[in-house]
Amino acid sequence: MSLLFSKSHEWVNMIDDTTAQVGLTDYAQAELGGLVFVNLPEEGDDVVSGEPFADVESVKAVSDVFSPVTGKVAEINEELLDAPEKINEAPYDAWFVKVEGITDKVELIDEAAYKAYVSTLSEE
Amino acid sequence: MINKLQWLATDNTYPYQNLAMEEYLTMNVGPGECIMYLWQNRHTVVIGKNQNCWKECKVNSLEKDGGFLVRRLSGGGAVFHDMGNLNFTFCLQHDDYNVEKQQSVILRAVQMLGIHGERTGRNDITVDGRKFSGNAFLRVGDQCYHHGTIMLNANTEDMSRYLNVDKKKLESKGVASVKSRVANLIEFKPDITVPMMQDVLVKAFQEVYGLPAEELSENSLPADEISALTDKFSSWDWKYGRKIPFDYEMADRFDWGDIQMQFHVNGGIIKEINVFSDAMDQEVICLFKDALTGQPYSEKDMTSVIMNTEIPADGPPTDIVLSMKKDIANLIQREI
Repeated sequence: MSLLFSKSHEWVNMIDDTTAQVGLTDYAQAELGGLVFVNLPEEGDDVVSGEPFADVESVKAVSDVFSPVTGKVAEINEELLDAPEKINEAPYDAWFVKVEGITDKVELIDEAAYKAYVSTLSEE
Repeated sequence: MINKLQWLATDNTYPYQNLAMEEYLTMNVGPGECIMYLWQNRHTVVIGKNQNCWKECKVNSLEKDGGFLVRRLSGGGAVFHDMGNLNFTFCLQHDDYNVEKQQSVILRAVQMLGIHGERTGRNDITVDGRKFSGNAFLRVGDQCYHHGTIMLNANTEDMSRYLNVDKKKLESKGVASVKSRVANLIEFKPDITVPMMQDVLVKAFQEVYGLPAEELSENSLPADEISALTDKFSSWDWKYGRKIPFDYEMADRFDWGDIQMQFHVNGGIIKEINVFSDAMDQEVICLFKDALTGQPYSEKDMTSVIMNTEIPADGPPTDIVLSMKKDIANLIQREI
């Protein structure tokens, strides 16, 4: 599978033209630190590109997760509710939601471009 | 690069309004600005965003004593606030945010009072290995806050009374609190007062950032926006209705038989309940079960539907029904 990335550090796996899985990138999980809780939307909820659709709590902070696409939540990864640490362990397997009926997206870049983008971010 | 410091100390002690001010200041702080907000909550338990309030706090006794339950935006565990505790919030944008620097303000301030504080790995600030300041953090896009408590002379009896919840029978998702040994700064500085602490915080704030700090007037903030946020923080949905599912079991034995009730609660509402009883009057037990399903998980609502459950005339004698109702209502009252 080939993933696309947003500059707010979400990954998108397009399953077909209007359906995708969405998760947090490895860079994002490393920045956040050990995750202890994740709030996901419910199936049937609308998500809007560039708007928060979930939030995660780590030992460092509560942070919003932004939706890279506009569409409807078809499925949520319930496994994460019991085991948020899976996001730290395997961020590209730990999808948050599957979105269908996608009508809009934020600017998405490929892996090479994302890597280059991350390398420009200052260490905090 | 921070180039503008502001501070604000409010006299308000109504917790929901203090959290509203904190959110407003955080969402509106500009680049290069840092606002230090100082505030006190009267008689309050504050839980983390993703905590189960019934698991972390004796909600019923807190509210009976006239106290407030508050859910904050940041994560972490439950803390007790009263007028012996001073809270601080640093509001800034992500590029200007530096937890270590912000914590140095607290460390420098207590040092001015002759107290040697230390950071710990658990986001706490301690003196002699005991926590006097618990810190938590929020990020919404570019907007951030770092806030925490400073225990000067908090009532630790109230603290353990509300926070020591023995609910082994409560199985919940959500973030669990971590117990810490705590210390009041009055043990180390017997004449400490809230104004004294505020004063050294403002001094330390300016010293650490090397800039003068301007006092922000509370009247300059938009009352309508603060009031809308106050409504959000005090709403039932925000305090109790968050979707953190849990199961709770309560059981007891009475003259008329034993009863065991297993509740499945989500969003603060009883979604499902299993009731087991060896009482003669199973149909009455079933009526109670039906009455409780769909009710808010609150002592008031639950005891009132039990007391008001209509029992058909061909049911058990009214005195037995009444004692069943009273016993079950008492059990609920005791357990929540």
